[in-house]
Amino acid sequence: MRRSLPFELLRYAMILLIIAISLVPTLWMLSMAFKPIAEWSASGAALTWWPENPTLDNFRFIFGQSSSELIVSLERTAARPIMASLLAAIVGTLIAMTAGTAAAYGLSRFGKGNNLPLALIQLRLFPPMAVMIPLMIMWSFLGLIDNWFGLAVVYGIVTLPFAFWLMKTFFDDMPREIEDAALVEGCTRLRVFAVITLPMMRPALASSALFVFIMNWSDYLIALLLTTRDWVTIPVYMTSLSSSMTGQLYGAKAALGLIAAIPPVILGIAIQKHLVRGLTFGALKE
Amino acid sequence: MASIRLENICKHYGDVVALDDVSIEVEDNAFFCLFGPPLSGKSTILKIILGLETPDSGSVFIDDRPMNGVSPAQRNVAMVFQNLALFPHMTALQNVRFPLVERKIAEDVIAARVDEVTKKLHMQHILHKPPSQLSGGERQRVAIARALVRDPVAYLMDDPISALDARLREETRVELRRIQREMNQTVIYVTHDQEEAMSVSDQMAIFEHGRVRQVGAPHDLYDAPASTYVAEMLGAPAINLMAAGGTALNAGRPVPQQAVQLGVRPEHLRVLKDGGNTQVSAIEPMGATTILTLNAGAETMKAALHGQPEFQVGESVSLSVDPAQIHFFDKNGDTLVAV
Repeated sequence: MRRSLPFELLRYAMILLIIAISLVPTLWMLSMAFKPIAEWSASGAALTWWPENPTLDNFRFIFGQSSSELIVSLERTAARPIMASLLAAIVGTLIAMTAGTAAAYGLSRFGKGNNLPLALIQLRLFPPMAVMIPLMIMWSFLGLIDNWFGLAVVYGIVTLPFAFWLMKTFFDDMPREIEDAALVEGCTRLRVFAVITLPMMRPALASSALFVFIMNWSDYLIALLLTTRDWVTIPVYMTSLSSSMTGQLYGAKAALGLIAAIPPVILGIAIQKHLVRGLTFGALKE
Repeated sequence: MASIRLENICKHYGDVVALDDVSIEVEDNAFFCLFGPPLSGKSTILKIILGLETPDSGSVFIDDRPMNGVSPAQRNVAMVFQNLALFPHMTALQNVRFPLVERKIAEDVIAARVDEVTKKLHMQHILHKPPSQLSGGERQRVAIARALVRDPVAYLMDDPISALDARLREETRVELRRIQREMNQTVIYVTHDQEEAMSVSDQMAIFEHGRVRQVGAPHDLYDAPASTYVAEMLGAPAINLMAAGGTALNAGRPVPQQAVQLGVRPEHLRVLKDGGNTQVSAIEPMGATTILTLNAGAETMKAALHGQPEFQVGESVSLSVDPAQIHFFDKNGDTLVAV
């Protein structure tokens, strides 16, 4: 349908407006990460979009514990929290995706008519706090407090229902006949799953894994409760970037925020071509 | 090749009866059609033969060996699915090779087999493409090649050419029949197209609501249907059924007492331009034949005449028929054996 020119202009104006609004915080973070203290602190001059004296001081500060500009120094650098975040989020995603995919396949193919899928999503209806305190006690008995693996296991459990539900809808949509054909052509059930179903599900696995990873990567609450010192994650570490003398270290926070944005962006770009639905395109006659 | 025998197969899905006591015997090297309206149980039969579904009761025998507990792979039956079910993440070549690769056949044997089959189906130029880049007809050929490439005991085909346009369908069914004869294969073929069923099969079984109504050679079923259901399923235009006591047609022989309906195929009606009690209400010239719609009192009939005879709409005519060509049916719709 052809639309009138004013309508088209209005449409694009609205789109640009929404993009601008959602980009402002991101761009502000980008700008602040490269500003010296004089430009981002409250005592500084007027706030500007573009750093007048661009510097890598903020990055040097969070990785080197001190900087020439700032009189404060950090107890620990950002390197270890970044590693903690990566380990916990990646392993947590692997756990959720492995268990979630297996459960989704089983229930999609052989679990007709039971309520298990609904029960799984209902796990998420509990307020997280109600679960976290007993979990904290259990974990401390198991020696999993302040341990990346303990955190990864909880991430895996918490995001499992999402991995399960995403994968289940994909499995439900896959035509049964494709697996039947593979069975007839000489495969066992397991072999069908390995050579037909999983490869066909690559786009589904990629987009579900990205979703689950971002949930794990951006968690604050669980890491706050389950880590204390050695294995704090990026969001928890970020709260420590302040001092009684200077207040919030906005420059350092922006620098860390910028680094934290990198993994999801890289992952997103890597699987972009898979982020389409056409899973079975061409398999069937139309 | 092999014979396939089904004995007293029953299958329910919840409350729905899919198959009700079905027994069929498919001879070695036969082209056997399962014919019936949609959802009459034809596809379920194929799944049971393949081992993808387990019957509630009854048994499948392949070469007289019972198939209970034998996996689909071990049964060694090939299948062309109704929706083709190609593997979308593989190229056409990988699709065709798949059954042989999975059976761990030697690479040089695979190459030779694939070469032979793809040549036969004229599809060597499309082998490098994934299914998403193929046309409907090309996908069809990939699916058929995937079934032909190995050496199964029988081929099952679930309405495999329904996606093609009418002309291509006619060509393909002749081609399928030729390949079946050349390769001396047993084929079980599901279709809902009566013309297709009649033209290709040695034997056919006619289904209604999960039951087999009649089995036989197409011309036998056509000439001697066991019931009004079978009589109406075969032939276009459909057989004329009328009340046995009607006056539209002089049967020319004694009507059996139990006869409630009688049936005459349109091509057996002779139309005489003698101003009788029947009116021509429509004329459809089809080229080789002309179809007349005729009204006689409450009855409407169709007559199929050779060539393009001259008739006018509204013309009064009378009808006659060779008495031997009249079928008599009782109150249940079953054929009465000629008296």
